[in-house]
Amino acid sequence: MTTATVIVVGAGVAGTAAALAASRAGARVVLVDGGTGASTLATGALDFVPWYAAAGQPWRVPADVAALLASLDAYVVPDGGAMLPTTAGVVRAAVGHEGALLDVRPLAGKRVAVVRCERPGWDADALARAWGEAYVPLDATLLRQVDERLAPDADFAARHDDPARLEWLAARLRDALSRAGSRVDAIVLPASLGVERARAAELTRRVGVPCGEAIGLPGGPSGLRFERARDRAVEAAGVRRVSARAIRVEPGRVATDDGAALDAAAVVLATGGLLGGGIEYASSESILAAALPPFARVPFQLTIEVPLALGAHGQPFHVPGSLAGIPPESLAWPFVRDATMDAVGVIAAADGRAAERLFIAGDLLADAPRTWLQAFSSGVRAGAAAAREAVTASASRSEASGAASPSRP
Amino acid sequence: MPEEPVSSSLRPPPASMPVADEPPPADEVDVAVIGGGVNGTGVARDLALRGATVALFERNDLAFGASGNSSGMIHGGVRYLLSSPSVTESSCRDSGYIQRIAPHLLFRMPFLMPVRKAPQARLMFELIDAYFRAYDDYQPLKRGEPHCRLDASDLARLEPGIVGSLVGGISFDEWGIDGARLCVLNALDAIEHGGRVHVHTDVDSIARAPDGEGPRYVVSARDRFTGARVRVRAHVVVNATGAWSPITASLGGLPQTRVRIRPGKGIHVVLDRRIGNYGVISEAIDRRQIFVYPWQNVSIVGTTDDDYYGDLDDVRATSEEVRYLVQGVASVFPSVREARAIGTYAGVRPTIYAYGPNEDALSREHAIVDHAPDGAPGVYSMIGGKLASYRIFAQELSDLVAGRELQISVPCSTHTRCLPGGEHVPDALELAAKHALTPVAARRLVFRHGSRALRVLERVARRPVEREVTCPCEPVIEAEVRHVVREEMARTVDDVARRTRLGLGACGGMRCAARCGQILAHELDLVPAEGRRMAREFLERQARTRVVGLGPEQARQEALTLAHVRASLGEP
Repeated sequence: MTTATVIVVGAGVAGTAAALAASRAGARVVLVDGGTGASTLATGALDFVPWYAAAGQPWRVPADVAALLASLDAYVVPDGGAMLPTTAGVVRAAVGHEGALLDVRPLAGKRVAVVRCERPGWDADALARAWGEAYVPLDATLLRQVDERLAPDADFAARHDDPARLEWLAARLRDALSRAGSRVDAIVLPASLGVERARAAELTRRVGVPCGEAIGLPGGPSGLRFERARDRAVEAAGVRRVSARAIRVEPGRVATDDGAALDAAAVVLATGGLLGGGIEYASSESILAAALPPFARVPFQLTIEVPLALGAHGQPFHVPGSLAGIPPESLAWPFVRDATMDAVGVIAAADGRAAERLFIAGDLLADAPRTWLQAFSSGVRAGAAAAREAVTASASRSEASGAASPSRP
Repeated sequence: MPEEPVSSSLRPPPASMPVADEPPPADEVDVAVIGGGVNGTGVARDLALRGATVALFERNDLAFGASGNSSGMIHGGVRYLLSSPSVTESSCRDSGYIQRIAPHLLFRMPFLMPVRKAPQARLMFELIDAYFRAYDDYQPLKRGEPHCRLDASDLARLEPGIVGSLVGGISFDEWGIDGARLCVLNALDAIEHGGRVHVHTDVDSIARAPDGEGPRYVVSARDRFTGARVRVRAHVVVNATGAWSPITASLGGLPQTRVRIRPGKGIHVVLDRRIGNYGVISEAIDRRQIFVYPWQNVSIVGTTDDDYYGDLDDVRATSEEVRYLVQGVASVFPSVREARAIGTYAGVRPTIYAYGPNEDALSREHAIVDHAPDGAPGVYSMIGGKLASYRIFAQELSDLVAGRELQISVPCSTHTRCLPGGEHVPDALELAAKHALTPVAARRLVFRHGSRALRVLERVARRPVEREVTCPCEPVIEAEVRHVVREEMARTVDDVARRTRLGLGACGGMRCAARCGQILAHELDLVPAEGRRMAREFLERQARTRVVGLGPEQARQEALTLAHVRASLGEP
């Protein structure tokens, strides 16, 4: 019987990584999933630091992170990084990408067709102009039903989970290629290629040239494909899933909103930052509700009860000098570069340890860049460290119980 | 030793208008109007309709200042009822005229004024009731409903969100308008009657022409984007630059003291949706009257009035001002605290100067300054005024200029001739069905463009892909974005936002700014990177206006916007 249990609170990118890492390190893992967060809004580009600030960075993923990323079976990390076109009109660098996105880095000097179709925010001609000379608009039929003109990206993408529909699309694209006046080496599409899994590889096989999506708006199918990949990977790793919202975390114990309490040797907290919902910004306006609040408080709070303090820029927050709240313009982008609102979180050690048997991962960490790979690799570190601690604790406990009962056979 | 009076040594030398040192341009107009707010565009339209040739210069965009940042009302001047009933009467009559010339752009705004229980509140209630009974006499002039006297239970039924122990209240009727569109329509009509309008064109000098031949003045300006110089010769120069008036006067060497204003900053907080069907009047902590009201598809809390001596090109609300307004309105209408503030806007009123009175006690009336005593006959400054009385003010100035300076005897026709698109209001649902638009998109399009919506939709008929929704919050279709770039002088994402309300909804432009930048770059033949730069600038400017009213939901939206900008657009 093992008591080396690690509870991971939060099933986003960081929580998933922590669960997989702890499981791989030999712990029994419970993943507490309180619903969707920032990970579902991810656009599919993998970065450690924002790409425009990443010049000269090595495009390399540490081996332990790469191994767990591979177990998700949904992401691609090419040697030397990737180049991804976005619907905002740029071709941006990335360390890696979600499987449905088209990496144009290997296509240097080739012609990439941009499919003309009536989807919101998708103007093939404008995008081709913005992305560069290698891109040409291509007339092709993507929409099969009238409602698809206005359907949300994820709904549209879900239709291509149907193999028949995907073949229909492949046929339309093959047809378009045969009618295209000149050679086309790859095809870039709006967000459309599946929700259950990325259908880009399958489409590529059927069409004969690389096909993939451009990065679109947050809330597209890429985040949903992450969720499906997570579900498969977590299940394969034998992690126990609990669908509940954690409301209180103490060392070794997590209480959830369904009245249950879970015990563990170590806890990894990966509930997200301001965007994911792990941290809440309480505005001065709502603080001003009926009267001034009874005590001065920091405008940021953790949304679950945890014995941890929030901070930013390497320091925990101090008592604010105003009962009415701190002026938001002193906290937030774009008034402040490196804004507190962006940096707020729990200050933790390099392995995520913030208190005894309590580890932090993902956007809940203070001062961490709010990127996908940062969240994932911090989850890997925290999950591994939590598992180590849990295993050590359970070993010493069984040793102690062994010493206390010498008469045991 | 006799003491030198201190003031005389400090008094500046008498100003005088310089003589142009370059040869005067061949380009001649009757009137050069400086300022693209409602006064400037109103005068340009009025004079153009009378047959005068007009050139208008605007340093930023049309409606960039007070006109585009007002409460968005054409009110009947109820506050002047006791002091000068004739002002109320002319305001109400003019409200009727504006409804006639731009029927698509106006919407009814019923207000509730609760009266709280307090010593002598009953008497107060009677007085308010009597006051609005007198106002009722003028309501028919503007198709307004008479006021209603309501008891506390009536009020609770009409607007359950009102709290506190109340004696009762009254309702009264006003009209709302989109001030930015009003300016654009006036400018368009001026253009369609032979005028010229230069936006983003900064006047840098007003000088006397060196020769006696032809018009007296030379106005020089520079396009702020291209750097191109624009110079015209004009018989008459009208300074209609609102809070910028003293600066403009100084460009012609005119004494700034003659066009003194008391710049009054006013801010508004924008909430994400219509939180009620009525405007609700309430009192701030200092007993100033403030209000929350549904406006277009949002609610607005307004307004402050504070002396302002900062940069007029960069006026912003502060979080203190937001708190002041929210706290005041919440005392009557507490749900405003839970509402999500999606932005703020700020403008500077060009109030007529007076030393001493509190900001609220200053007159919103207008005055025309004739600069003949300053040695510049034919130069006029328009001081003060308000959105609701823009047409009368423009008429007064145009009467003066047409009669005295241009010997034009054509009478004013701005109250009878429709603004562009006002000729008839097409049926939005029919258009929606015909062009496969959503009914909401069609309705908003007709609201902004009236019959010109048909021109926008001609584009859709030619290129169906342009029915694509660019801004889902408002909503705005692509054809409209292209239309305002081609026909309404929009040159940046901000300009498009001012004309269409693109990007001013709950997502703050996250979903549309980049796309709008792409369209602009295409229409204006710019490199795509220029479109992205405009999009980033717009997003950043909007974030600045939002952040001061930040609440929990909006904070998450800010984090999402930032994440999106990081992922796909590049460094904010």
